[in-house]
Amino acid sequence: MDILTWGRNPWDQPVLTHISWNLLWAALFAGLAFLVAHASYMIFSAHRKRHAAETDAMEIARADLPDRIVRHSLPARLFHWLMAAAMFTLLITAFLPVVGLRFPWVTWHWIAGLTLTGSILFHIIHATVWLDFWSIWVGPRDLPELRAELLRDLGHDVPGPRPGKYPLGNRLYHLAIVVVALVAVVTGLCMMVRIRTPFFTRNPYLFSDTTWGVTYVDHGLAGVTLVGLVIAHVYFAARPEKWWITKAMILGWITRRQYLEHHDPDRWAVRQLPTPNSATPNSTTPNSGLASPTL
Amino acid sequence: MAVIRDVMPAFELFQPTSVEAAQAVLDRYGAGAWVLAGGLDSLDWLKDRIRRPQAVVDLGAIAELKGIRERDGGLEIGAMTTLTEVVRHPGVRERYAILLEAAEAAASPQIRNQATIGGNVSQDARCWYYRAGWPCYRAGGNICYADTPDAINREHAILGADRCVAVNPSDTAPALIVLDAQMVIRTAGGGERVVSAEDYFVGPGIDITRMTVLEPGALLTAIRLPRTWAGAQFYFEKIRDRQVWDFALVSVASAMTTSGSTIERIRIAVNGVAARPLRLRAVEAVAEGRPRNEATAVVAANLAVEGAQPLGFNAYKVPLMRNLVKRAIRGVEAAAWTS
Amino acid sequence: MSLSRRNFIKGVIAGGAAASSAAYLFRGAGSLFGQTSAPGSVERLLSLTVNGQTRRVDVLKQETLAMTLRYKLGLTGTKIGCDRAECGACTVLIDDVPHYSCSVLTHTVRGRRIVTIEGLEGPGGVLHPVQQAVVDEQGFQCAFCLPGFVMAAVGALKTNPNPTREELAHAVSGNLCRCQDYDKILTSLLRGAEYMRRTT
Ligand SMILES: Cc1cc2nc3c(=O)[nH]c(=O)nc-3n(C[C@H](O)[C@H](O)[C@H](O)COP(=O)(O)OP(=O)(O)OC[C@H]3O[C@@H](n4cnc5c(N)ncnc54)[C@H](O)[C@@H]3O)c2cc1C
Ligand code: HEM
Ligand code: FES
Ligand code: FES
Repeated sequence: MDILTWGRNPWDQPVLTHISWNLLWAALFAGLAFLVAHASYMIFSAHRKRHAAETDAMEIARADLPDRIVRHSLPARLFHWLMAAAMFTLLITAFLPVVGLRFPWVTWHWIAGLTLTGSILFHIIHATVWLDFWSIWVGPRDLPELRAELLRDLGHDVPGPRPGKYPLGNRLYHLAIVVVALVAVVTGLCMMVRIRTPFFTRNPYLFSDTTWGVTYVDHGLAGVTLVGLVIAHVYFAARPEKWWITKAMILGWITRRQYLEHHDPDRWAVRQLPTPNSATPNSTTPNSGLASPTL
Repeated sequence: MAVIRDVMPAFELFQPTSVEAAQAVLDRYGAGAWVLAGGLDSLDWLKDRIRRPQAVVDLGAIAELKGIRERDGGLEIGAMTTLTEVVRHPGVRERYAILLEAAEAAASPQIRNQATIGGNVSQDARCWYYRAGWPCYRAGGNICYADTPDAINREHAILGADRCVAVNPSDTAPALIVLDAQMVIRTAGGGERVVSAEDYFVGPGIDITRMTVLEPGALLTAIRLPRTWAGAQFYFEKIRDRQVWDFALVSVASAMTTSGSTIERIRIAVNGVAARPLRLRAVEAVAEGRPRNEATAVVAANLAVEGAQPLGFNAYKVPLMRNLVKRAIRGVEAAAWTS
Repeated sequence: MSLSRRNFIKGVIAGGAAASSAAYLFRGAGSLFGQTSAPGSVERLLSLTVNGQTRRVDVLKQETLAMTLRYKLGLTGTKIGCDRAECGACTVLIDDVPHYSCSVLTHTVRGRRIVTIEGLEGPGGVLHPVQQAVVDEQGFQCAFCLPGFVMAAVGALKTNPNPTREELAHAVSGNLCRCQDYDKILTSLLRGAEYMRRTT
């Protein structure tokens, strides 16, 4: 199986041109294989969840918390969905032609690419200024949590730390996406110099043949990796036990019970807001009795 | 690419006598197979060592691909019919004279004696960077050498470029589009697919490495000329540097019916300006129902070149195309050349 | 067939040319003597009908007719100028129709009638009317392009024996003359047409 494709430039030097599209099939296969493997594991395994009684007890203890806890602000959610739309457009425009559904894709692709770039810039600023920037990152201090999560996955009942705002899996995923999407964005922006856009005069000779080759290959590698990552992401978002997280990305909030069951209140402290009318458990108006955690 | 004057590298040669047998060989060799018709495009690639097929499948022994037949009040031209046979055919002369003119304008007499109409519409781009074997987009690479700040691109596209700026070189193509010809394709699976000439050609936005919709393993078997435009008023003009051998810088083909001095129906196509021959639908729409005069021709011609984006050395193609469209609509005598 | 001195000398020269150029021209052609055959592909050994004679030749699958004529059959009257269908020097008649022999695979003309410049002369070395006209009019300068022009004209005269100067110019428009001698070439070819009409 070829992984990269080569050509010979006018000086008869070998230059990289693209990744081989075999890799697309490999990424699709890997994504789906992971999905099947994980789904079968979840069906047959003894994954340890917090006992209902435990959570009941915590809920009584923390009755001071409102019953809805803001997880994602409106701008954060808008960013997320805008980015998702851009990402899907990029994937579709890049790969449908490869699998045989042909259409003039390049213009749509770079427009989606700029949308993605814009929304990422917005996200970085937003997260730095308004959110707890470090809440999404992983570092050595997460090792105990990793150990606890793995043990729970293996069916052990361990006390270990619970996540803050973002479960460890989320944070690892975010890290992967940051690296890969940044590669796609940076290379993609460079590649815009090769095509006709309204912004500047094309200059295909901006970089050397070798550099361009590497740029195209990196862009392609990032692209196919994103296929795998997006499959995994969509899969997790659709899993029943993770559905509460997905819902929060739509509606913005989670329930007090979900907050207590899945998070470590010390690592993701909810800032108590003075609520004029205390919420009732069956409240239907989403905005009543909302508490804003430190985001 | 330096011209090499020894024998080509070795390949297997097959001379099947049926389309099925030909496709069996194509299937067996996959990407290593090459379809050979008259060879006037093919042999350049092989001699220059830019394409090195393992197996060449010569269609010359397949009787069903040859000759011109009557069909549904129109004509069916086998893909392996030579351009000279097309030019000499009385049915073509009487009803589809524009195809005669277009075929007669191609290449040189000896080439027309051997080049097939199927090969003529399926021939590859003549961009010399591509032909030299450089790794451009069309060759599977990631650059268009003809669309760089210092590129020599006098022959290249002014319309419809999408990364690649090569143009379609076929002279018969615009005439076939104007006649609403139907291209009969035998797909790799053995099924028959009929596409209109207009849809037979693809631009780089859709597929940057191919000129036509032919998938690997598929064969063009025949070209059908329906009755629709038989005997209409035709116009064909090809502008080139030398009157022999040279490909069109711009060519125009049109068919129209008039009632009195009003244009009733018109079809018009150009080639040499984009990676595929372009049917000018907007021009047809404005011209239909208008008088056939200078004013209509000017409006139509200006519309035709709307959106043209010339490269470093081919801006001349814009007025050239405008004038050709004007002449096609107004007629030669009255249409003044403008630049 | 009586072996005339002239033919004998021609044969020796041609044989020498074939032997000496073969090694050079076919060197890149893969295993010349050991080309294997895939099932269903063509046989290398074939019979060609050239200038009225049937000749058995061993032809590479990728060999062009110009190569076979010049380097296998010794018929070096057919010239190779460009080898890319762009000059006409290699023009021969295939079933009476002019073709560029540099752009025809020899295997595709099995069973067809090939005529080269050597095949024009009549019995006893009588020149073809077009050849005679060329001699009479002194139409060419270096004459490298001559065989191609003559073959193109002879082919065209078969379908149109009485061409105008313009028609004949069109018929030989697929031939280039490096000496730029077109006017005189046309005059001699037209004279050839006239000679032909006179002889029939
Ligand atoms: C010097 C020169 C000048 C020329 N000038 C002109 C010109 O001015 N105008 C013009 O229109 N043309 C011109 N041509 C091109 C020529 O007219 C040929 O008609 C054309 O390129 C190919 O026809 P062919 O039959 O020789 O096909 P080939 O060269 O054998 O085939 C051409 C391509 O089409 C494919 N193909 C052929 N037939 C089929 C089929 N039935 N099904 C599927 N695929 C097929 C082949 O695989 C190949 O890729 C010129 C060519 C030369 C060499
Ligand atoms: C993030 C998801 C993205 C994916 C999956 C993706 C995928 C791809 C793929 C597979 C190609 C073809 C590469 C090749 O031919 O080797 C491509 C080309 C391209 N991409 Fe992206 N891309 C992404 C993001 C971007 C972004 C953010 C931009 C720009 C802002 C961008 C701009 C381009 C351009 C301009 C091309 C065309 C280059 C050419 O053909 O010359 N892409 N992309
Ligand atoms: S050698 Fe054949 S045309 Fe020039
Ligand atoms: S006479 Fe010298 S090339 Fe024609």
